[in-house]
Amino acid sequence: MNAKDDPKTFSPLARAFLWTDEKHKVNRLVYGLYALCAILFLADFSYEKHSYVSVEDFPGFYALYGFFMCAALVVCAKVMRLFLKRDEDYYAPHDTESEAYPEDQLERINHDD
Amino acid sequence: MIEAVPIAFLFFAGALILLALPKGPARAALSLIIPVVAGFMVWSLPEGQLWTAGLMGFDLEFMRVDKLSRVFALIFCVAAFLGNLYAWHVRDTVQQFVALLYAGSAIGAVFAGDLLTLFFYWEGTAIASVFLIWARRTEGAYHTGMRYLIIQVSSGVILLAGAALFYRETGSLVFEKMTLGSLGTWLIFLAFGIKCAFPLLHNWLQDSYPAATVTGTVVLSAFTTKLAVYSLARGFPGTELLIYIGAVMTLFPIFYAVIENDLRRVLAYSLNNQLGFMVVGVGVGTELALNGTAAHAFAHILYKALLFMSIGAVLFRTGTAKGSELGGLYKTMPLTMIFCVVGAASISAFPLFSGFVTKSLILSASAKEGHYVVWAILLFASAGVFHHSGIKIPYFAFFAHDSGKRPKEAPLHMLLAMGLTAFLCVAIGVFPAPLYDLLPYPVKYENYTTSHVVQQLQLLFFSALAFAVLMRTGIYPPELRSVNLDSDVTYRRWLPRLIAGISAIVGRIWTTQANLIESGLNGIWRRLYRSHGPEGRIAQVWPTGAMVLWIAILLGITLIVNFAS
Repeated sequence: MNAKDDPKTFSPLARAFLWTDEKHKVNRLVYGLYALCAILFLADFSYEKHSYVSVEDFPGFYALYGFFMCAALVVCAKVMRLFLKRDEDYYAPHDTESEAYPEDQLERINHDD
Repeated sequence: MIEAVPIAFLFFAGALILLALPKGPARAALSLIIPVVAGFMVWSLPEGQLWTAGLMGFDLEFMRVDKLSRVFALIFCVAAFLGNLYAWHVRDTVQQFVALLYAGSAIGAVFAGDLLTLFFYWEGTAIASVFLIWARRTEGAYHTGMRYLIIQVSSGVILLAGAALFYRETGSLVFEKMTLGSLGTWLIFLAFGIKCAFPLLHNWLQDSYPAATVTGTVVLSAFTTKLAVYSLARGFPGTELLIYIGAVMTLFPIFYAVIENDLRRVLAYSLNNQLGFMVVGVGVGTELALNGTAAHAFAHILYKALLFMSIGAVLFRTGTAKGSELGGLYKTMPLTMIFCVVGAASISAFPLFSGFVTKSLILSASAKEGHYVVWAILLFASAGVFHHSGIKIPYFAFFAHDSGKRPKEAPLHMLLAMGLTAFLCVAIGVFPAPLYDLLPYPVKYENYTTSHVVQQLQLLFFSALAFAVLMRTGIYPPELRSVNLDSDVTYRRWLPRLIAGISAIVGRIWTTQANLIESGLNGIWRRLYRSHGPEGRIAQVWPTGAMVLWIAILLGITLIVNFAS
């Protein structure tokens, strides 16, 4: 952590996002997301659909498909990790993964320097 | 006539002039001017075969201009400009030089009207681009570049072999629509497939792009793979096989992207996934689908460059692009964060962002032609791409747990490049008509219908919901310092190990049998020496024994002479 980590030195744009560090406000965001999802789900009944594929007519098809497929994606990926994960230096030294990026090509400057 | 000059030559001449200029802003400015001039020339070119050269009895078509080649050349010029603007600070002659050669080769290949010209430029992109990886100047980058070069050059060699066979069959080298069937066309197809990162031929992409320099990756992301997409759209539109290849391409990289730690490699996986959409479009092959492929390539080059730029800026300031090391950067890099979110929204196809107005063409085309399973896979891949590129990239880099890193905001020229790209992403999303006008066929497609917007928002927000739920229940896999095995493990680890193992076994068998033979021969030699040598028992009776033998021989001869006479 920076010694002079003072939010006043951040730009106004950054300060507008500082609430993301507060747990109860993030909770509020998530509740907002729940509400938005509910509204979108219900919105499905409010208009006439133009569909190419018959499953599209199923109420909330896109919502359910998006939710369950993404959950399945993450769970599958997690299981894949059990088999595929190796140490960072697995291919070293024939790989850049475990190398430091050459310092002379960077411009590391701290925010309040 | 100015339009008679191949656009590629402009880039090559620019690269040579660049070498003559002093190091500094003059060179950077030149590498901005060239793409702008080239872009205007491409814009104003008439259609037709504009420049032909004879070589060894072949007519080489350097400038086949039509709507398909023009839209790709145009976006390549834009990408070259944005990439070079992003690289304004670079004072490395090699990188500046090859960035122009690489863009020029890619544009040259797009305008190539015959397979031989295509081959020259095809190899040109391979050889020029590898220097963007080597420019990192580490041992790992050297080896990665070598692997990249071997695969890319092989693709070119296969293309040349295919072109030669194709010429023997048809007596023509014109690069037009082909049908798979003969060995020649299959080889050409394979060469395109390698560069397009087809499943199991894909690993050069995820291997090499994260190994390139901060700016090199941005440049790399634009050209090679989209050149391959163009070549497929030119050579193999409507090839049904491509639909299935493309569907698999959209599918498997998203699983890897979820568990990958290096954010630039996550982007490489999602690049692979986006290529899948374009390949499906080529495979479906209707006017709507081919329009979709060209439009999606156009939009994709922009938002993918934007995402690579934003993560590159993070790398430039912090020295790492790994999810496990980053977090909380929004506090001091808010503009970079905003641009990253714009790129993420575009790739996720949020309404009002570029992906929305281009990807839907391909999805609609595949549903219209009755490829329902493929359509469902593409829909899943769309949700998945939001999951890993749309949420994961900005979340782990700029939010998540605070890494304590407080880097300064990206330098001005990087912000400019990102801002301009972000502007284009939004502009295409809001006003798709100018892009649609550039497409190969007339577009009659309404994007912003209630159905389409609501359905897309449902898909995206419920994917976000899945992310939120999984994150809060702790099921979401954390970012860990790791390498994930992909199919490249076969040629990077297993095959070398197998060969080493076989050679060890063969070597051992060889030495064992050689030892056996040697010891056997030695034994025989020793025994003979013991018995027949100067000290041996036989040697003691040698003169008597020899006398008896000779007498026997003489008697035998006498007997034969007597008998015969």
